[in-house]
Amino acid sequence: MAMTTRQRARLSKIVQIIIFVGVIVAVLLKVDWKILGSTFFAFDKLGPIFPELITVGLKNTLYYTAISFAFGLVLGLLLALMKMASFAPYRWFATGFIEFFRGIPAILVLITFGYGIPTAFPGTNWPQPVVVMVSLGLVSAAYIAETLRAGLQAVPKGQSEAARSLGMPAWRAMVTIVIPQAFKIVLPPMTNEVILLTKDSSLAFILGASMAQYEMTKFGRDGITSLGAGITPLIVAGALYLVITVPLSLIARKFESRSARTKR
Amino acid sequence: MTHISNIPANFKASGVSITGLRKSYGSNEVLKGIDLEVKPGEVVCLIGPSGSGKSTLLRCVNLLEKPNEGKIHVGGFETTDPDVDLDKMRQNVGMVFQQFNLFPHLTVTQNCTVAQTKVLKRPAAQAKEVAQKNLDRVGLGAFGDRYPDELSGGQQQRVAIARALSMDPTLMLFDEPTSALDPETVGEVLAIMRSLAKAGMTMLVVTHEMSFAKEVADRVIFMDGGVVVEEGIAQDVIGNPQQPRTKDFLKRVLDPTHVEIDT
Repeated sequence: MAMTTRQRARLSKIVQIIIFVGVIVAVLLKVDWKILGSTFFAFDKLGPIFPELITVGLKNTLYYTAISFAFGLVLGLLLALMKMASFAPYRWFATGFIEFFRGIPAILVLITFGYGIPTAFPGTNWPQPVVVMVSLGLVSAAYIAETLRAGLQAVPKGQSEAARSLGMPAWRAMVTIVIPQAFKIVLPPMTNEVILLTKDSSLAFILGASMAQYEMTKFGRDGITSLGAGITPLIVAGALYLVITVPLSLIARKFESRSARTKR
Repeated sequence: MTHISNIPANFKASGVSITGLRKSYGSNEVLKGIDLEVKPGEVVCLIGPSGSGKSTLLRCVNLLEKPNEGKIHVGGFETTDPDVDLDKMRQNVGMVFQQFNLFPHLTVTQNCTVAQTKVLKRPAAQAKEVAQKNLDRVGLGAFGDRYPDELSGGQQQRVAIARALSMDPTLMLFDEPTSALDPETVGEVLAIMRSLAKAGMTMLVVTHEMSFAKEVADRVIFMDGGVVVEEGIAQDVIGNPQQPRTKDFLKRVLDPTHVEIDT
């Protein structure tokens, strides 16, 4: 009757698998596949938004993300340096900026810039993509600033001391010695940031826009009302986000393992 | 044994002159009025117990630490003058750290060329030539394409010396250069320092290597508690110390297995 440790471990594993598979099968049996198919997977009715979902939507998602990230990266680096500055007002400003834009929902920033700017400065009317990129750029700058600051401070102090001892001015030591090393440290959190930004670009739906400015989620939402295919358009848009983000993760992982080899 | 190629003499040399140097961290005064002179071409070793302020003193010379009081002259620079061009001064002062501080993202050769090209604006080819010459000098001429983490501690420290020499310094500062090394690699670093001293390099060395200090240094300075307790010819200070504190310290360092503990 008594079991050996190995027998008990094997039995436990078998029970785990049975429960896991059982739960999945039970759920799948409960599903009403017919309704599900017509509301989630009615691919045949997507004709009207193809190929625009990809040629316009995917393109705009990538475009908004890329520009927002570039803007956020430059501003974020500036804020990180300000936060580490010896001049106190710089630190105050950077801290205030970061806390503010990190603390409020990105969608509020979008609305504020989308409707606030034309109200505050009559006659100014930023095109919708500009609003999106400025808003998301500001928000991501707040996150990026903190990531970069942590990365820069993780580079041992001896590195900048060695650089300064060789006669490099502070900015040169930063650019040539510290930042390249910080880059390797911040690569994983930075990948995160790009992925978050990719998805945040979907918030652009809140602003009115012409078709040529739609990104994927906007296409999906409009498709729900116009196509009679349930939420299938959103399912497809969701899959397209994965088409962007998964390769991004893979590339970052490749970079990481490569820099790990030359890291000390 | 490490091969070290013959070293041509005649380094340009600049001396150091320190008067009334004081340095505090908060209420903790680490240097309590130091006067010190290093003549061009001289090799001076700073010895003393840990916490005596010798590393801080060394780091004050090239202003990695900012002194609170006192004057420091290095070559033609008064480094304590607020208007002095520190970067220009540091180009002439090589520094070797306890933890090597090689740039891990650059190859050995790039470690030796980066400041030459970015600071001295030497053409890449010339910088590479200078780097190669100095890597040959420390016996690592064949290691130029390696990364620092592929080298032993002793090799890394030798690269750090070559990196500093590539700037053609007129003064070299060594901050406990062998303290972080495995015992079997200490000798190769000391050998290079000895050859530099022979070639006429002006050197200020913080060290715990008493036999090195005795043999290579022109003068030895014993510090304790932020002041200079005793200084003089190396053989005298280490071989025949006059002050009780120096005697006690040397006894502990030279014969650590027979230190008595008061109970």
